[in-house]
Amino acid sequence: MARSGFFISAGKRLVTGPPLYYLWVLLLLVLAGIGVSAYAVQLKTGLIVTGMTSYVSWGFYIGNFTFLVGVAAAAVLLIIPAYLYDFGPIRDIVIVGEALAVSALSMCLMFVTADLGRPDRVWHLIPGLGILNLPQSLLGWDIVVLNGYLFLNLFIPGYILYNAYRNRQVNMRFIWPFILLSIPWAVSIHTVTAFIYNGLAARPFWNASILAPRFLASAFCSGPALVIILYQIVRHYTKFHVKDEALHKIAEFISIAMAVNLFLLFAEFFKELYSNTHHLSPLKYLYLGLHGKGNLIPWIWTAFAFNVVAFVIFLIPATRKNFATLNLGCVLIIIGIWIEKGMGLIIPGFIPAPLGEVWEYMPTTLEVLIAIGIWAIGLLILTLILKIIIPIETGEFTAAGTVANSELRHGQIAA
Amino acid sequence: MSDSNKTTQETATIRRDKKDRATEAPACGKDSIQPDRRSFLAGAAAFLGLISVSSCSWQEFVQNHFQRMTKTEIEETVERLRAEYKGKYGKDFVVGTEAPIDGTLFGYALDIQRCIGCRRCVYACVDENNQTRNPQMQYIRVLRFKDGNMDLEESSIYYDPEEVPEKGYYYMPVQCQHCANAPCTKVCPVRATWTEPDGIVVVDYNWCIGCRYCMAACPYMGRWFNFADPVIPADQVNTQTHYLGNRPRMRNVVEKCTFCIQRVRVGKYPMCVEVCPVGARKFGNLLDPDSEISRIISTKRVFRLKEELNTQPKFYYFFA
Amino acid sequence: MNGHIGSLKIALLVMALALLGACLMPGTGPVQAQAPQESQSEESGVAVSGQEFPVPLVPLPKTITPCRACHGPEKDFPVQFKRHEDLLVHKNIRLAHGGVRVWCLDCHHPDNRNFLLPLSDGKPIDFEHSYLLCGKCHGTKYRDWRNGIHGKRTGSWNGEKQYFLCVSCHNPHLPKFKPLEPMPPPAKPWTPKETQAKH
Repeated sequence: MARSGFFISAGKRLVTGPPLYYLWVLLLLVLAGIGVSAYAVQLKTGLIVTGMTSYVSWGFYIGNFTFLVGVAAAAVLLIIPAYLYDFGPIRDIVIVGEALAVSALSMCLMFVTADLGRPDRVWHLIPGLGILNLPQSLLGWDIVVLNGYLFLNLFIPGYILYNAYRNRQVNMRFIWPFILLSIPWAVSIHTVTAFIYNGLAARPFWNASILAPRFLASAFCSGPALVIILYQIVRHYTKFHVKDEALHKIAEFISIAMAVNLFLLFAEFFKELYSNTHHLSPLKYLYLGLHGKGNLIPWIWTAFAFNVVAFVIFLIPATRKNFATLNLGCVLIIIGIWIEKGMGLIIPGFIPAPLGEVWEYMPTTLEVLIAIGIWAIGLLILTLILKIIIPIETGEFTAAGTVANSELRHGQIAA
Repeated sequence: MSDSNKTTQETATIRRDKKDRATEAPACGKDSIQPDRRSFLAGAAAFLGLISVSSCSWQEFVQNHFQRMTKTEIEETVERLRAEYKGKYGKDFVVGTEAPIDGTLFGYALDIQRCIGCRRCVYACVDENNQTRNPQMQYIRVLRFKDGNMDLEESSIYYDPEEVPEKGYYYMPVQCQHCANAPCTKVCPVRATWTEPDGIVVVDYNWCIGCRYCMAACPYMGRWFNFADPVIPADQVNTQTHYLGNRPRMRNVVEKCTFCIQRVRVGKYPMCVEVCPVGARKFGNLLDPDSEISRIISTKRVFRLKEELNTQPKFYYFFA
Repeated sequence: MNGHIGSLKIALLVMALALLGACLMPGTGPVQAQAPQESQSEESGVAVSGQEFPVPLVPLPKTITPCRACHGPEKDFPVQFKRHEDLLVHKNIRLAHGGVRVWCLDCHHPDNRNFLLPLSDGKPIDFEHSYLLCGKCHGTKYRDWRNGIHGKRTGSWNGEKQYFLCVSCHNPHLPKFKPLEPMPPPAKPWTPKETQAKH
């Protein structure tokens, strides 16, 4: 009964729900299907179907990857107050943040795979079977830390929830080291991702020590912003209780993170503008255009405006605590950081090219479809995880309850 | 590599005269490779298995890293490659695996004073090294600077006058600099690229996973990516190849200048040296004090590109 | 190998011009030789024999030596020792080498026209070793050439090579290197406007 019972009843829960749930899952499945088909074309034809060239050799995929690593890392902002400071309102809801991290990580891995020219050779990365170039390659390290973080974020909540499902006491002495480990690990995933770019002397735009701190600061804006919105959706559609207090606490974090983010951006601006060396060129390309080329100008100024407006919203307690403005701020931040951290960070690193040429990049339709597909799969993963874990959290879905439910033969589940 | 070539131009006939060279497809032949419905469906079908998608044989799929293969495995691989190339180009290939010559460390020098920017080296290199003609790939970029500065951002590679050299300009070809402290090999997550004992930075095309991290790491545009299946007209393909050098590549892997490893490992000069009409290109053994390259370093004032990055290129520029 | 053949052609053309356009001149052009075992005492003890720089001697057939047609035993036109008159006679030669400072008899032997002026040892230089004469004025270039720094070598970096002599690339009468038509520039990568970019 025990284990198979869980999977059977979990499976039942996944396929039952209100019409809106079906509609949502159907939409995601359709988008995912389109993405997968688009990816099949890319596999068949080669990366020439993307907008990437030997000049700009990373693009939309890696941009989204970078943004999502930040989202995943942001779970630490919930873990610290929840477990370390035992801040009740957040401890109650941390599990949803961890679910978000898992789905973000799965999207990260999918984006990297989409970017890979030879996905058939991923086995070359498996130590022993292949060769993982450690300790030299930061990409090697990134694979290690991302997978490690994925494991932690599956294992910790999995352990806690399974015990909740079995109505057993959680052995904190067992799980505590993993929780502690997950905190520096969250920081590490984003630091290592920053170091991927940071370590390249060939690309002055990335080769600045401020990059990793900037990564973390912007991650601690966009991740929690997503979390705030997610919590509101979850508490609207389920019996899962999220206190306003928790959301306001998270909003406070965001205001601090955004202040730091803008300050670091200012520091970057000052250094490049005042010293006015050739290293200014990528920044010039991004914000003003270079040699008459500037596809990213409207995007980056949008991001800048969004971030500043959001900062003001989160700074003022009145607007921070008003859900209309709070949600507006969250959306602005998510879009702003997505632009800044995605295209705004990756593309200018390649412009101008190392020998001075200025060739721009824009994703092709196919690339965008693949990216949408990956987002759809990621959201589907998130939806399905939440569909299982929230009833466990709320006590609707337990081992005992399953028996009762199957006996009563009615699947009245709020989610 | 069977059916996957259909998308790239079967009809691509690239003649060798200047006019046709000039009108070749754009560097990434985008317009010519728009996926149609058929390939979309075919792609969707192929997606069922990654192996079938990459349309490679089982042996190719499980092939080991070049440095980890035994002698027999290398021989088997070479035979398989020769059969594959025979099928594709209808010619018998030599796929050499010559080891480095003891006591050699290759170095290259280029006399900026002499170079007239005629690009003979660029095309000789393309022919010798079986670079894809469509999309176009060229390992050598000839930069044209205005007299009075060496500002890369102000340089141009697209100059096209009636005659070179032009008044008021000078030229500087750039290719892989075969750095002693190579940033590209360091970053590769699977060690698919490395520096050979004779100093040549090589790629195992069958081990590369196509992540392009090395391209981001290279400060010299020394690395190029096969965004589509390489297209080399069968009548122009060079059948004298080396496993780590100019053997035909597959799509979605990185490639680069190897100092013509297939030539220099058997004592010949690289093709660009051989073809340079002004003798601006010099090549030899850095460990031999009497070699041309050593004489240049000891008697001429040389510089290396972007030396501040500490990449320690074995490619020297000089003025003689 | 086009470039190679091209430079051979140029070399031959240069030769033809140099020798009054009438005669072939074997032995110049790219010369096969073993890698030079050069001594570091380069400038001293230069011998005309060619031992010092091992370009093998290819004897010139007596019948086709260029100058004896007019200055040989059969016809013996007197040599004009003034630049103007000399150039009037050899009107198929355009001389643009060192401006007015250099003229025919700065290189060509006044009495023995099948040879070039001697070095300090007094022995006239034959045409196969013309580089010795070039080296008299262009000492640093000559040194670079011997070291493989100036000029072109093809073949084997660690073995047998072909040396291009000075006159293989530079017409001695018009030594400036001729401009060339460049090969086409690289194709430009596609630009975003040309594709249906989404963003």
